[in-house]
This record gives sequence, C-alpha cells and structure tokens, in this order.
Amino acid sequence: MADTKTKIKGVFVELLKIKPEELKDDLNLSDSIGVDSTEMVEAVIALGKAFSINLNAKDITKFMTINDIEKVISSKISVK
Amino acid sequence: MEKIAITGIGVVAPSGIGRRQFWANVKAGRSFVKEITRFDASKYPSHIAGQIDDLEKYSNISERLLKKMDAFSHMALIASELALTDAGIDIKKEDPNLVGIFLGNAIGGWLYAETELRDLYIEGREGVSPYMASAWFPAAPQGQVSIYYGIKGFSKTVVADRASSLQAIGYARKTLSKNKLNMILAGGMEAPVTPYALLCCNTYGGLSEDNAHPQAAYRPFDRKRNGFVIGEGAGIMVLEPQQRAKARGANIWAYVTGYGTTCDGKDRINPDASGKELVRAIEIALSDAKVNKEQIDYISLDGVALTDWDKSEISAIKSVFGKRAEKIPASCPKSAFGNLLGASGALDLIITVLSMEHNLVAPTLNLDDPDLDGLNYVRGQAMEHTINKALVISRGRGGINSVSVIEKGEK
Repeated sequence: MADTKTKIKGVFVELLKIKPEELKDDLNLSDSIGVDSTEMVEAVIALGKAFSINLNAKDITKFMTINDIEKVISSKISVK
Repeated sequence: MEKIAITGIGVVAPSGIGRRQFWANVKAGRSFVKEITRFDASKYPSHIAGQIDDLEKYSNISERLLKKMDAFSHMALIASELALTDAGIDIKKEDPNLVGIFLGNAIGGWLYAETELRDLYIEGREGVSPYMASAWFPAAPQGQVSIYYGIKGFSKTVVADRASSLQAIGYARKTLSKNKLNMILAGGMEAPVTPYALLCCNTYGGLSEDNAHPQAAYRPFDRKRNGFVIGEGAGIMVLEPQQRAKARGANIWAYVTGYGTTCDGKDRINPDASGKELVRAIEIALSDAKVNKEQIDYISLDGVALTDWDKSEISAIKSVFGKRAEKIPASCPKSAFGNLLGASGALDLIITVLSMEHNLVAPTLNLDDPDLDGLNYVRGQAMEHTINKALVISRGRGGINSVSVIEKGEK
C-alpha cells in the first residue's frame, strides 16, 4: 500500500513540478495545492499509465485526497 | 474626451528585455536579425528572424504554470510585469473589476499547438496535453495575464494581422475614455519563430530570402528591398486616464490622443496601391486627436519592405502632408529586430514614446538607397529631434489600416 501511495505522489510531483512535501495525504488536492480540472485530466491519464489500469475522469477528482486516490487505485489493481 | 496616459512600458524583444536595454540597442541601430537556431529551418526559403533565446532568465513564473502556456503568453506575462513595475502599480491594491487587458496578435500559440498536434497523430488522443485547448488560441495571453493578476474588468483580444496590437491600443483608449475602467494593460505579443508559423509566413510570400546576410535582409523603402523578416516578442503598456495618473503622481511617458482605422476592401493579401484608405485612417486619427497635421513632427512607418506596401504607405503620407512630408522625420526602426506581426504596432508605439523621451529618432536600418522620394527618412544612425506629436502607422494583410496619434507627456 505504501508503495502505491508513493507512486501516486510521484506522479503528482512530476506533473505539477512541486516538492513532495507539498502533498498532504489527507487534504483534498484542490484546496491544498490548487489543482484545477485540467491538471486532473492530465493526472488521470498519467496515473492510468503508471499503474496500467483504466481510469477515467469520474474515478478521480480534484476534490479527493491522496488517501482517497490510493483507495480507488488499489481497488482497480485488485480486480485486474 | 479625457486624455489617456501611458504610464508604464514593458518590452520583450530580440533587441532587449526591459525598456532600457531595448532602447540602448534600438537607438544605436544594432541588428538582432540572425539565422534561426531554435529548430532546423535551413530548408525554408526564409530562415532568419529576430529570436529571443533567454526568456526564462527574465521570468519568475513557476514550471507548473509554464507547461500550460505557449511562448506568446509567457512573453505577455513578462511584458505585463515590466509595465506594471515601470508604472509603479501594485495590482493587488487596484479594484480588479476596473482593470482591463487589451492585447493583439496575429497567429496564436503555434509552438504549443504544433507539438501537440504531432503527438495526436503519433500517440493518439492520450498523447495530447489537456492544456492544448487553452494554450494555443489567440486570446490565451489575455486569459493568462488575467488569471495571474486576478484582473476581472472588461478585456479584449484583437486579431487583425500586423495591425492587431495598434488596434488593441486604440480600443483600450476608447474604453478608458468612456470611464469604464481605471487602467488597462494594452499592447500585443507574437511568437512566430516555430516550424509551422514560419512555414505559413513563408507561403505568404512576403519574407526576405536574403539568408546569407541576416542583418541586411530587412530593408524597408530601400531600392533593394525584398520583403520583411519576422521577429518575436511583446510590447505592453499601462494606460490610464490623465486625471488618475496625475492624482497618483505617475510618470506620464506620453498620451495616446487619437486613433483611426479603415479597410482597403480590395484584395485578400495586398493593399490598395493608391493608399487612399490609409489617407482616411490618418485623417480620422488626426481629427480624433484634434491635432492639425502641421503639428506632427515624427512618423513611425509600417515599412513592410514589399513594393505595393511601401509605395502605398509613402503615397498616403505625401497625400496627407504634401510638401511638408519632406521635412517630418520618419523612421522604421523595427528593421533592426524584425517585424513582430501582431505585436509590431505596440513595439512601434513604444519606440515612438522612447524617441519622444530622449529627443532622439531611432534609425531605419539598411535604407541605403531610398526607392521612394519625398520623405525625410532617418536612416543609418539616430537623429536628435524634439518630438511633441507623432503618428504611428500599422497595417495588416488585405489592407487593414491603423493609425495612432501620440503626444508627449508633461514632466
């Protein structure tokens, strides 16, 4: 699980060109680091590629936390 | 109508970033036209330009934001910041609903667009950046400047080929004079040094192909002229009503006091050879400014360096000013750094303001043997001259004529 979270954070750090410590596990992405809907489109594509799963814009939104996203991705991985 | 003051100047150009560096190079007549190095342009008939290589050095914009925008928006953000700093304006203290943005450009953000279109055809839909939709289109710089500063007032982007930015400045003045806003960031930006944009400029057929002599290639009004050279950059100014500018003790560089625009309505590409609609635009601008033509003491020339354009421009000036055209100093200093297309008028206006400030007319480069008599061309080197009232001419494909009257500010 920790690996999944680290990998998710790595995707956001790379995409948003931010420092890892700016990402808080339990704060939603919009409020904490101002992620907008276009950035989320890019994130959904990048996360789908990183975990080799099918993700769409409805699965993950900017109002989710890293913990929420980890749950969604873990559930997708488990049914692969 | 209340006078509209220019209180801040922001320049991003091949000749320099920031008005001091820019003016030092322009007045000295140093050429910044060179072979394009951003990509392999060697197969293009014209592969020389005024290129800006070190934009990042002048920018505080985060990587997170930069990846969402084309170079023309980046240039607009840098020029806006320079203009606001020059005007001594802290944008956070302004009422955002009463600040506007009026910018012009001709071609949009093609470096971004063509890269993403390439990825679309190679990688499919998922290869295209989601920012593509908001990065390439002509109003993107207006949007980025608006978001960056939280500006929320009435704003506009003008697309009128090479006349775009002078038109944007004309509309900005009109809007301010109706007391609709407190201040406007006005001007233009263009980034045509990209593979696809350069191709379009080449197929237009107006570019000089003297690639062997980049610095001598752009020769407006010269007998050996063979077209213009493109350049990239931005020119943005802070405009505000005279009363407000004076009340806050601002440095008033100059006033934009008149504006006229007409269309030739003749041809999709070329101007009306007679220049009669340009005559009308000049007369409208003079009348709007309530300035007698005898008072004009400098003319900033459009100078496309193509026969029909140069001839019709000179013909129009002679028609308006008669024998006096031989006396009024006239110049086309952009021959030193390239024609910034939709941003060219803004840069011409800024050079005119700086010429007023320094009592010095910047020279036209490469005008060794004037083909068209009847004008007092300032060429080769700068000329000392006091300018109180000037005319700036900017024209776009198909015969879009724009003319501004600029008057010196009080010190």
